[in-house]
Amino acid sequence: MATLYYLILVPMVYLAVAVFVLGTIWRIGRLLAAPSAPPPPPIYPLRKPAWLFAVGDALLLPTVLRHNFRLWLALALFHLGLLALLLGHLELIAEFKILQVVPHGIFLGHGFVGLAVILCLIYFLCRRMVSPTKELSVPEDYLLLVLFLFTALFGAQMDWARTWYDYSSMGVDEYRAYLSSLIALKPNIEGVTSAGHSFMLVGHIFFANLLIMAFPFTKLMHAIFTFAMNKFRRG
Amino acid sequence: MEAQLKNDLVNVFKSKLSSQMLLNLDTCSRCGLCTEACHAYASIPLVKYAPAYRAEVVRRIYKRSFTAQGKFAPVMGEAKEITDAALMELKEAAFSCTGCRRCMVYCPFGIDTQQIMSIAKLLLVAAQAEPETLSMLADMSVSKGENIDAFKEGFLSGIKRLEDQMIQTWRDEAGEDPIPTDVVGADLLYVALAGAHSIIPSARIFNAAGEKWSLSFFEAVNFGAFVGDPTKTKLILDRIVNEAKRLRVKEVCICECGTAVRVAKQLKGAPFKVVSLTEVHARYIRQGRIRLKKLPGSYTYHDPCQIARNGGVYDEPRYILSHLVNDFREMSPDPKYNWCCGGGGGLVAMGDETLDFRMQSAKVKADQVRGSGADVVVTACENCHTQLSDLNKHYGLGKEVRFLSSLVADALLPEPQEARG
Repeated sequence: MATLYYLILVPMVYLAVAVFVLGTIWRIGRLLAAPSAPPPPPIYPLRKPAWLFAVGDALLLPTVLRHNFRLWLALALFHLGLLALLLGHLELIAEFKILQVVPHGIFLGHGFVGLAVILCLIYFLCRRMVSPTKELSVPEDYLLLVLFLFTALFGAQMDWARTWYDYSSMGVDEYRAYLSSLIALKPNIEGVTSAGHSFMLVGHIFFANLLIMAFPFTKLMHAIFTFAMNKFRRG
Repeated sequence: MEAQLKNDLVNVFKSKLSSQMLLNLDTCSRCGLCTEACHAYASIPLVKYAPAYRAEVVRRIYKRSFTAQGKFAPVMGEAKEITDAALMELKEAAFSCTGCRRCMVYCPFGIDTQQIMSIAKLLLVAAQAEPETLSMLADMSVSKGENIDAFKEGFLSGIKRLEDQMIQTWRDEAGEDPIPTDVVGADLLYVALAGAHSIIPSARIFNAAGEKWSLSFFEAVNFGAFVGDPTKTKLILDRIVNEAKRLRVKEVCICECGTAVRVAKQLKGAPFKVVSLTEVHARYIRQGRIRLKKLPGSYTYHDPCQIARNGGVYDEPRYILSHLVNDFREMSPDPKYNWCCGGGGGLVAMGDETLDFRMQSAKVKADQVRGSGADVVVTACENCHTQLSDLNKHYGLGKEVRFLSSLVADALLPEPQEARG
């Protein structure tokens, strides 16, 4: 078990980061290297400055808001939740004063952010089981949602799992020590593998690793491509 | 399918992979928001008519041949080889899409299904599996461009007959040369469709406005674009470009044909401006070059997708109609969301072959026309006009379908004598 934990918490993390970085660079490089063709007409009426409206389209999803409020709400909650969780993870590496504008513990939202993300993921999964989205979906769509869901479930419930031990084992200090050691290329997993609920952390990191590695080779690239796409539409 | 053909088709596919096309193919999250945007899906709720599904038909082939996921884990994206069955799917996808790009308005990323369908059409052309009718029409247009001298005499005698008609009907405006052709130094080259309805009303308006114009020897419609063959599209367009350059015109005015307007407006670096007939008519009214009387009845306007959503001509037809009628009723609160008529993308040009599908897939359009409550449906595109007329008959809408240009011609007020000089 110790070997498995080590493989997931150390080499797999490095591998995931390497695949993510190199894969993303390759995908973007492939785009930049592709020949450019005369752009087809934008969608009229045009609004200027086009880039600003394109950024607005990418971040605020106005077309979804207009045509499917429930989906928009879920997408907004999910993406904002992801952002908050990413910032929270940064705070697991080091303290960032700027992020303490709103004083909080490590993660904003007292666990409700993770819960919201999980509920959104369940909604997205259910949506994919109903026509016409069901027929449009391919296995990748389900797999990514399941990976997200497991990552979120194991991650969000870690604090709850600590209650099994009266909060006395594996907390923020241990997480920080582990992540800092990874960044310093001197991996030390001692503090995060000895607790009774370490399997929660290992599960969280395992699924997160898979997700990060899948990023450059799946539709998750929409997170980057959406800006260029919306700019084309805006002209 | 033979290995050589498969290989050729993969290379044809590769030739379409520009950076923008890659974005179109790589960004879809299959959220399904576009389904309700398509008139075909809204009228016939089968998933094969959902824009995202149509795009997936192409995307699956793309994944198999050009992506790491498709090569190493094809099951994840349902990646597929090009096969005869895949070609059949491509054909159904490509020729059930009118290229209206309404789905692009709904898509959170702005994925251009029409662009993706252009790959499907090109693969069909390369496999010689494209609709024969469209291919033949495109070949005829290309051939006319290559042998204009052989066509010229017949064309000019046809124009002479139209001129006689014009002189009989509108003696005052007709002037000495009612339908001028081959006028070197003309300000405007008018590219019409074959048929009196596309020439006579426009000629009357040009003459009334005192335009120095010339009628093109070539018809505007670009069957190369319908069939999806970029080489033929360019050859057909080049005929007009070369004529415009030879006559040294300042402006090329494309008649009421959505695809022709769109294709011509995409020209870059031409020594002339490209405008639609509707824009020219609006300009004449604005400049006081023509005056119109009000017509009785209630009117609604169908925005041709290629001229409005894809060409930006929203205000001009409404401006013209505000001078033509007192009772104008919008079909859709926001014209950007007007339903496609269901006849674009070559479907009307394919005639009876597509009639059943066109009627079924445009039920929402028929409902929208009926819902407008207007007596007359006006449009500025030949395809839309034909399709709306077919819908009118099929669904018993009891409307009159008119070209905007013919309404303008009918409403022309004679120029005051003093202005005529």
